[in-house]
Amino acid sequence: MSEQSAAKQSRLLRGVHKTVTGLNPVLESLLAGVVGLLIGAILMYIWGFNPWQAYIALFKGAFGDSYGWASSIARGTPLVLTALTFSICLRAGMFNIGAEGQMMIGAMASVSIALFTLPSGIHTIVGLLIAASAGAIWSIVPAILKITRGVSEVISTIMFNWISRFLVIWLGVYVLVDPIRAEKTLSIPVAARFPVIVRGTDLTASVFMAVGVALIIYFVLWHTTVGYEVRAAGLNPTAARYGGIRNKRTMILAFLLGGATAGLAGAALVMGLPPSYAIFSSGMPNLTNMGFDGMAVAMVGRNHPIGILLAALFFGGLNAGGRMMQLGSNAVPLEMVRVVMGAIVLAMSIPELIRLFPAIKKSIENFAGRIRDRRERRAVKEAGE
Amino acid sequence: MTSEKLNTSTVESNAGYFLRGEKMTKVYSDGTVALKEASIEIHTHEIIGLLGENGAGKTTFTKILSGLLPPTSGRVLSPKGPVRFSSPREALDFGIGMVHQHFALVGTFTATQNVALSHERPFTRVQLARAEESLKALMEESGLHVPLDVPIEKLAVGEQQRVEILKVLSRDVDLLILDEPTSVLTPLEVDELFTLLDRLRSEGKSIILITHKLKEVQSVTDRVVVLRHGQLVGDVPTEQATTEQLAQLMVGQALDQDAGAVELSDQELPVHKERKPVDRTANSVLHVESLTSRSNTGDIAIENLSFDVFGGEIFGIAGVEGNGQTELVESLTGLRVPIQGSATINGTNILGVDPRHIYKLGVAHIPEDRWELGLVLPFTLAENAILGVHQWEEFKGPLSFLRWGKINTHVRALMDRFEIRAAGPSAPAKSLSGGNQQKLIVGRELAKDPAIIVASQPTRGLDIGAAKYIRDLLVEMRDMGRAILLVSADLDEVLALADRIAIMYEGRFMTVCSPDDLNREQIGLLMGGVEREEARV
Repeated sequence: MSEQSAAKQSRLLRGVHKTVTGLNPVLESLLAGVVGLLIGAILMYIWGFNPWQAYIALFKGAFGDSYGWASSIARGTPLVLTALTFSICLRAGMFNIGAEGQMMIGAMASVSIALFTLPSGIHTIVGLLIAASAGAIWSIVPAILKITRGVSEVISTIMFNWISRFLVIWLGVYVLVDPIRAEKTLSIPVAARFPVIVRGTDLTASVFMAVGVALIIYFVLWHTTVGYEVRAAGLNPTAARYGGIRNKRTMILAFLLGGATAGLAGAALVMGLPPSYAIFSSGMPNLTNMGFDGMAVAMVGRNHPIGILLAALFFGGLNAGGRMMQLGSNAVPLEMVRVVMGAIVLAMSIPELIRLFPAIKKSIENFAGRIRDRRERRAVKEAGE
Repeated sequence: MTSEKLNTSTVESNAGYFLRGEKMTKVYSDGTVALKEASIEIHTHEIIGLLGENGAGKTTFTKILSGLLPPTSGRVLSPKGPVRFSSPREALDFGIGMVHQHFALVGTFTATQNVALSHERPFTRVQLARAEESLKALMEESGLHVPLDVPIEKLAVGEQQRVEILKVLSRDVDLLILDEPTSVLTPLEVDELFTLLDRLRSEGKSIILITHKLKEVQSVTDRVVVLRHGQLVGDVPTEQATTEQLAQLMVGQALDQDAGAVELSDQELPVHKERKPVDRTANSVLHVESLTSRSNTGDIAIENLSFDVFGGEIFGIAGVEGNGQTELVESLTGLRVPIQGSATINGTNILGVDPRHIYKLGVAHIPEDRWELGLVLPFTLAENAILGVHQWEEFKGPLSFLRWGKINTHVRALMDRFEIRAAGPSAPAKSLSGGNQQKLIVGRELAKDPAIIVASQPTRGLDIGAAKYIRDLLVEMRDMGRAILLVSADLDEVLALADRIAIMYEGRFMTVCSPDDLNREQIGLLMGGVEREEARV
């Protein structure tokens, strides 16, 4: 290969690198979305459904009319907040898997405002404050375990998820239980509820809170010294230390911030979820998995608050539209939506795979070259003899 | 021994050479052309010096020659056939061994275990007794002696290097490639190494010595190969080349007086003779008294150090790396809490104080490791330019908002003042070249308007131009009356810049004096731990 053609080829490779990896995270996430939908389609086809019809039903249900949009946004709202939890901690260099538990604690904490009355508006704010602080306080223990004892936050937050789940069930069954309907907790008083924005849907004003929090987190991370320190410590703790940044402090701070947003997600799921405005203790259908789905949203949203807003809308749409997919003659089970979500998360690793291509190519070339060399070496030897 | 350029070549021309590289070209996947049609013939009984600046292609050259990196075009031949391997192990089997700057040794293993490890195939029984036996025989034969029952991490760097060389020799190699072997050694150890290389040559081995020190090339090699920007620009018998010629080949054009002197004169660096008398009766800027610190492993790393650094002087600390320099710098810059002693800057205590408070006292710290300590590589230029000063009033508005407008203005000023070549304030720091990264750090630190500059290995890994620029800046700061603590493993740099030098060995100062009070031999002995009284003899 001449030098010129080699340079040309390397330029080409670099071009591939730029479009599919590194340069354009938006493209990468879109690609992952498409691949996820494709995998879902293949599975549907294997199981005898018509994927085309199913997806039309899904997207019509999600974004076809104002009702669909409202439902999608409503389902995306808590995901924004739990995704922020994961992202803030990731930016600080930690894997906080505890959004699920922190969100549940926040949700149950917000139920407690049913025990007293306050003027409307103030009551909502108090509810949010209680939920946020509960989430934050709940996240302190894993944070302290990490910085004092070196306990991996991955392990401790997963364990805390189970502790929170059963603590919340216990509170819902024995403490904050609705005396009239024992299957659910007390309902949030009318004065404290987020008002419904689109009548007939469950889209409430909690979406403004979620978007507001995302914007605040964006400004904190990229426009304040606090966020600067968190990001520096996450990317290079040694250099952060050199820069006078107290890494333990930024860790605690990131955990507290993350816990607070998870708590707010819990509040949004109770104070902003008509018609019951309460938690159903058996199985907690409105809460379960909202923390874990948030991690998927964070990944697709590339751990950036703005990206998270878009990704949450997409995942909310999948959830909302998935219900429409179950109707009619081509009734695809709702579980297929979760398959698609899982496939999307897996597809997020495609850029990494593409990055591997040159390496694979190189090793093949190397192997071929060695076989050639061996032949030549043998020829030389024979000639010598 | 011939050294003509080779143009014709056939595999059949059997004897006379051990390895032949023909028009080797390497283009990396990012488009970098690291090597352009370089041809070379390596003979037995020969030591070749490979000269070149940083980034001249020395590493690529040796990697291709040793068959570990397939060339984009061209080929490497030996009388035994083409040379191409997929692992260092295969290369070793073939008879090519390389000793890297960073040793590939298991720290908790002994020398015997390390050598045995390099012989083992997967899933076979380790035969330690036999390995020890053959290693002893090899030590006898080669004259290289190392303790066999001590873990590698307890050995001195020079001894570790010997283990690495033994490891390669034990594989019975014909070509030994040494990558900057002397950078970690004391002058005495360098002499021993060269004696060994001599002996290996007489046994018929070929040796490639990668270096940037001209004196070494002239003292030990038979032939010098010079690379510049990926091109082989010189291949001459050593005795026919003058230092001036080699330096010129290496850097390409005649440098201005100062920079030319960098590689030419006996001192190798311009001595800043215009040293101004320093008033050492006034109060010192940095006052350190009986400072004692532990290393990360818990051993005493520096012991009872006491010294002063005055305004208007460069206090240079020389010594082989790993003798406590890192711990000393860390103790003075808030990164390590000493166990005893005191240190003050203009009367204010700095021991155990957080770095951000120390910076406020007027301390600038140019760290030894710019990727680990000095920069957050994925951060932008602007973000890196405020590391450590991000909490200062000028960059921080109400509600601790960062004033990006002011920061960007500040960064542009830094880029102008310190000749940092980058796309702009929002370019990621990792996209900068090493020299520009170091200029960014130096610029950030000097912009603190410091009373004292702690500069640790400030020019390591930089090309001559960038190194000279940074040395000049340090001298400029000294002439402005700032105090400078310079720690460097580059003895020539310390001798050229410092007004006073301390030689550090095992956590202690062997001596503190003017650089003119000692000759290089004495310094070498002191660096090797020989007391001054003995050193005089």
